[in-house]
Amino acid sequence: MRRIRAIVKREWEEAVRIKMVLFSVSFLPLFLTGFASYLVWQGRNLPPQAQAALLNTALVYFLVLPVVIPLSIAAYSIVGEKEQGTLEPLLATPIRDWELFLGKALAPMVPGILISWAAFCLFLVATGFILGHIPARIVSLPWLLSIFVLTPFLALFAVLVTMIVSSRTSDTRAAYQFSSLAAIPALIPLLVYTGKLVNIDLKFVGIEGGLLLVADALTFLFALKLFGREEIITRWR
Amino acid sequence: MIRTQGLGRRFGEKVAVEGLDLEAREGEVLALLGPNGAGKTTTVRMLSCILSPTSGTAWVAGHSITAEPGAVRQAVGVLTESPGLYRRLSARRNLEFFGELYGVRDIKDRVEKYLRFFGLWERRNDPVGTLSKGMRQKLALARALLHDPKVLLLDEPTAGLDPESARAVRDFIQELKAEGRTVLLCTHNLPEAEELADRIALLRTRLIALGTPRELKERFSGARVVVELLNPHEGLVGALDLPEVRGAKLEGNELWVEITDPRHSVPALVRRLVELGAEILEVRRAEASLEEVYLKLMEGSKDAAD
Repeated sequence: MRRIRAIVKREWEEAVRIKMVLFSVSFLPLFLTGFASYLVWQGRNLPPQAQAALLNTALVYFLVLPVVIPLSIAAYSIVGEKEQGTLEPLLATPIRDWELFLGKALAPMVPGILISWAAFCLFLVATGFILGHIPARIVSLPWLLSIFVLTPFLALFAVLVTMIVSSRTSDTRAAYQFSSLAAIPALIPLLVYTGKLVNIDLKFVGIEGGLLLVADALTFLFALKLFGREEIITRWR
Repeated sequence: MIRTQGLGRRFGEKVAVEGLDLEAREGEVLALLGPNGAGKTTTVRMLSCILSPTSGTAWVAGHSITAEPGAVRQAVGVLTESPGLYRRLSARRNLEFFGELYGVRDIKDRVEKYLRFFGLWERRNDPVGTLSKGMRQKLALARALLHDPKVLLLDEPTAGLDPESARAVRDFIQELKAEGRTVLLCTHNLPEAEELADRIALLRTRLIALGTPRELKERFSGARVVVELLNPHEGLVGALDLPEVRGAKLEGNELWVEITDPRHSVPALVRRLVELGAEILEVRRAEASLEEVYLKLMEGSKDAAD
């Protein structure tokens, strides 16, 4: 636990010193919260069914945010170590692969989720201000569970996929480039929300949560297997 | 403290290290010398459990590198080829981070101790990216020592440093030795190895030679004597037709003679020179430099490989 905490802390300290990371972490939540609020304002005089569709779209942004925010930090996680030549001294310490990977996964995930939740709360305030009340649809249990319970699973999945990419690339720019693609598998479940393919009820949230949990566990194991510390040390110069 | 037994590592078809049998005792500085690609870094990486061997095994500080890699990593301090520090973080934070990974208890005190020792205390809050190369190397050395390891694996500790910084690092290695730590020192720098090492291992994929600097010189340089003459002349070189003499050359008033065996050859040589009318001022043994021994052994190992 001590080593995981040390990794998380150091990742944060480094991330706040990278302007590109700071920009992507702060700009996107502000932009999407503003845009979602704008949708609410646009739909304030529409019939209830049309207003519900707009709210649905606005809510999906808050499922996307925790997936996208951590990617810039996650993309840098392994390749950044390679670039600075710090991976070898790091692997010479008693740290185990799973501790390193978990620390590096938690570091981008935690702020991503907290920022997304904060953005959602800001959106609730803005909606209340625009409509004079908060529609029951937004604060329904399935939606709240989706935002506060499912998003960590979604974010972890996206982060792990990005870290796999980061451990297989040798260039930071390539890692950033690929990280946007890495978000795609994590975004697939969100299509269900926007496409209204199923009813967003507690049963659906439960099934999706279970599937994501399994996917996260399998991806974590796969990422560990692919990590190959020896290959990274000897092949990457 | 360090013992390897048939240690080897292949990368696909390429053999990096083969059948390495070495031992470094407590408080000993053992230098690994060899050209680029000789397997020095691979050996350090195996001993620090960054790479696993493909054959043989080793024990470091009483732990097996194959069975107890975690214990080995905890017991050794490693200075990698490049300092490998987080450029955006301060010198202090770099050390604290690694201290946390090693589970150092009194991190703040130890970090302060080593930053002061290496003269980096005034720069403790500066990002590592703003430090000079010498300062970064010192910081990397401080990191290797932070958890008080009994064994240190130092890969090219003075590479690329200015003479003053290199001197400081060498002095520090002497202090480590005085403290009773075992140091495995990889270097290309022959005078450095000669100055610091108790024993030198010459490596070219396999172990070519092992011994103290003096032993290596005596064992592999052959025997040479220098005869200082009052009346030197070229005719002496051609007239030295003794079976004990392998070759001779005149340099100023010094006659350099390669002989088969000092104990038996020198009296015969002196007799013959006197017969030839030479007036001898002094006869002394000429010791080969470590560089000559190194080049000779490396050339020999290359021929053997060919």
